[in-house]
Amino acid sequence: MPAEYALSNVWIGLGVVIILFAIFYAVGYFSSRKTASDEDFYAAGFSIGPVTNGLGMAATWASLATFLGVIALILRLQVPFVYLWIQWAISIPLLTLLYGTSLRRMKAFTPASFIRQRYGKPSTVVIVCWMILIMVMYALGQMVGLGQAFELLFGVPYNVAIVVAGLATVGFITIGGMYGATYNAAFQMVVMTLAMIVPMGAIMKAMGSSGWWFPPLAYGDMVPDMIKNIPTFFDMKYDFRWYFALIPAFTLGPVALPHLAMKVFTSSSVKSARWAVVWFALFLGLLFSGTYVVGFAGNFFTATTGRVIEKADQTILILNVFYNPTLVAAFVMGGAIAAGLSTIGGNLMAIAGLVGSDLLGIIAPNMESAKRMKWGYAALGLGGLAAVLMAFNPPRFLVTSILWAFGLLATTATPAILLGVWWKEANKLALIISSMICGIIYIVISPHVLPSICVGSGLVAALGMSGGMVTIPLSFAMFIILSIGFNRMPALKAYAPTLADKQVIDRIHGWGPDYDESRYNGITWPLIISAFCVVVFIWGLQPW
Amino acid sequence: MKEKIYKKEIRITIIFSVLLLLTGHSASIFVLFPGLQQGTLWGFPIQYIIPILLGWFGIAVVCLIMTIVCNKFDDEMAEYVKTLAPENDPSTETKQK
Repeated sequence: MPAEYALSNVWIGLGVVIILFAIFYAVGYFSSRKTASDEDFYAAGFSIGPVTNGLGMAATWASLATFLGVIALILRLQVPFVYLWIQWAISIPLLTLLYGTSLRRMKAFTPASFIRQRYGKPSTVVIVCWMILIMVMYALGQMVGLGQAFELLFGVPYNVAIVVAGLATVGFITIGGMYGATYNAAFQMVVMTLAMIVPMGAIMKAMGSSGWWFPPLAYGDMVPDMIKNIPTFFDMKYDFRWYFALIPAFTLGPVALPHLAMKVFTSSSVKSARWAVVWFALFLGLLFSGTYVVGFAGNFFTATTGRVIEKADQTILILNVFYNPTLVAAFVMGGAIAAGLSTIGGNLMAIAGLVGSDLLGIIAPNMESAKRMKWGYAALGLGGLAAVLMAFNPPRFLVTSILWAFGLLATTATPAILLGVWWKEANKLALIISSMICGIIYIVISPHVLPSICVGSGLVAALGMSGGMVTIPLSFAMFIILSIGFNRMPALKAYAPTLADKQVIDRIHGWGPDYDESRYNGITWPLIISAFCVVVFIWGLQPW
Repeated sequence: MKEKIYKKEIRITIIFSVLLLLTGHSASIFVLFPGLQQGTLWGFPIQYIIPILLGWFGIAVVCLIMTIVCNKFDDEMAEYVKTLAPENDPSTETKQK
C-alpha cells in the first residue's frame, strides 16, 4: 500500500506558513532601515559577526533539496548519495581559504568584482553571464520546488501556488537587501534544523530505536534490521573514479558560487570570516546528519512496514504525517520552505550583485553609491519576478538538476577566480577562450542538449560528473597553457596582465604596499597542475 | 622575512586544502582500500560513520585550526607590512603618475 503525504488539517499548515512569512517580512522591514548605501545593500555593510554569518552561510547552502531531493536520492541510491552530500560541507571553507578572505580584503561584493579588477571588462561580461545563467537555474529550481511545496501543503493549483509563494518570497527578500537576506537566513537555519532533527527523535522512538535522544548519530541500533531487510544499503557500489569525479564537479563548482562567496564577503573582518566558517561547519554538519538519518529512516520504513513511498522526495513529510501530530508535520513543511527561501534569497542577491553592481559598474563606472543601491533594488526585484514568471512554464534546459550546473560553473568560472588570485600570469584572452570553449563543450557532451554526443551515461552523465571530469581539467589546463603562450606573443600584448593587474594580487593577499614581481608568478607549478589535469582529462574520457 | 612569509602562506594554503579534501572525501579512501571496510562504530559500518563524522566534526576541527593558524599568519603579515615605508608603495607611484 503506497504512503501519501496529506495534512489532516490544512489550516494548521497555513498558520505555520503565515507566522513564518510574518517573521521574514518583519526582519526584512527592520533590515531595510539599516540599508543606506550599496555596501549595506550588497554586503550588509561588511558588518556580520561569525555566529550569525555561520548560520546564514549554512542556510544559504542548504536548499529545498536538503529536505526533499537528497532524501529521495538516498532512498533510491542509498549510501553513495550520502557520500556525495557530505563533501558539500567543504565548499565554503575551501572558498574562504582559497580566495574568500582575499576578496573580502578588497571589499568585493561578488567574485565578479574581482574579475573586473583583475581581468578587465570583456572577461567580466563572460564570467557574469555564466554566473547569472547558473543563478537563474538555481533560483528557478527553488521557485518551482516552492510552488510544488505550497501546492502539496494547501492543495491549491500549481500556478496559484507559484504566484502567491513567489511574490510573497520576492517581496521580503527585495525589502531587506543583504542585511535582510542574512538575518532571515540565520533564523531560517534555526527553523530548518529544528524541523529536521526534533521530529525525527519521535519517529525513531516509534520505529523502536533507543537513540531517539540524538537522531543525527544515535540510530546504530537500527542497522542490523536495515541490513537484514536491505543487505546492500551500506555498499559503496561504485568504483574509485566515481568518487574521484565528485571533486571536479561538486567540490570545485560550488567554490565559485557567487551567493556563497557573498556570505563570506559580508563578514565584519577577514578574521571574522574565518570564524564564521567554523560555525558554518558545525551548523551544516548537524543539519546534513539529520538529512542522512531521514534517508536511512525512509529506507527503514519501506523495508519494515512494506509500504511504498511513491513520491520519494516527500519522504520526510510522509514519515512525519505517519508518526507525528499534524502540527509537527506542518512545522516540518515550514522547515522545508525555509530551506528553499534561504537559498532563493542568496540566489537573488547574487543576481542583483552581478547585474546591479558588476555589469552596471562596466556601463556606468562613476555612478554614485545611492544610485547604485537603487539599481540593486531594481535588479533584485526584477530578478525575482523573472524567476516567478519562468516558474509557470520553465524552459526544460533551465530546470536541469542544479548539480549539473555546478559542473558548468567549475568549468567556466572556478579557474578564472582561483588562477586569478594565485597566478600573475593568468591572461585575459586565455580566460575568455578557455571559459567559452570548455563551457560550450560541457553543455554539448551532457545528455540534456545533444543526447547523441555524451560522455558517460545514466546518473553520472545527468549530474555532470562524467562531463565535468573532462571539461574542468581541460579548462584549467587550457587556461594555463594559453596564458603562458599568449603572454610571450608580442601581437597579443594587449591581453597580458599589466602591472596594475599584478599589483591587485599582492594587495589582496595582504602585502599592502609591498609589491614583488616574482611572487605568485612561476610557471613550474602551473605546468605541473596542467600535466595532472591532462591525466584526469584522459581518465574522464575512458568509457564510464 | 618576506620570502619566509610568502612560503608560509603557500604552505598553509596547500596543507589546509588537502586536509579539507581528505575530510570531505574520506569515503574515497574506503573505496581505494576496501580492506578498511571492516568493523563497526556505534553500531554503524565503519565506512558509513567515519565519512559522516569527518564530514561534520572533522571539517569543523580543520576549520578551527585553519582559522587560528591563518589569523595568526595575518598578524605576522600585518607586522611585516607595518615595517614598510609608504614611499615603497608602487600603487601610490602609479596614481601619482
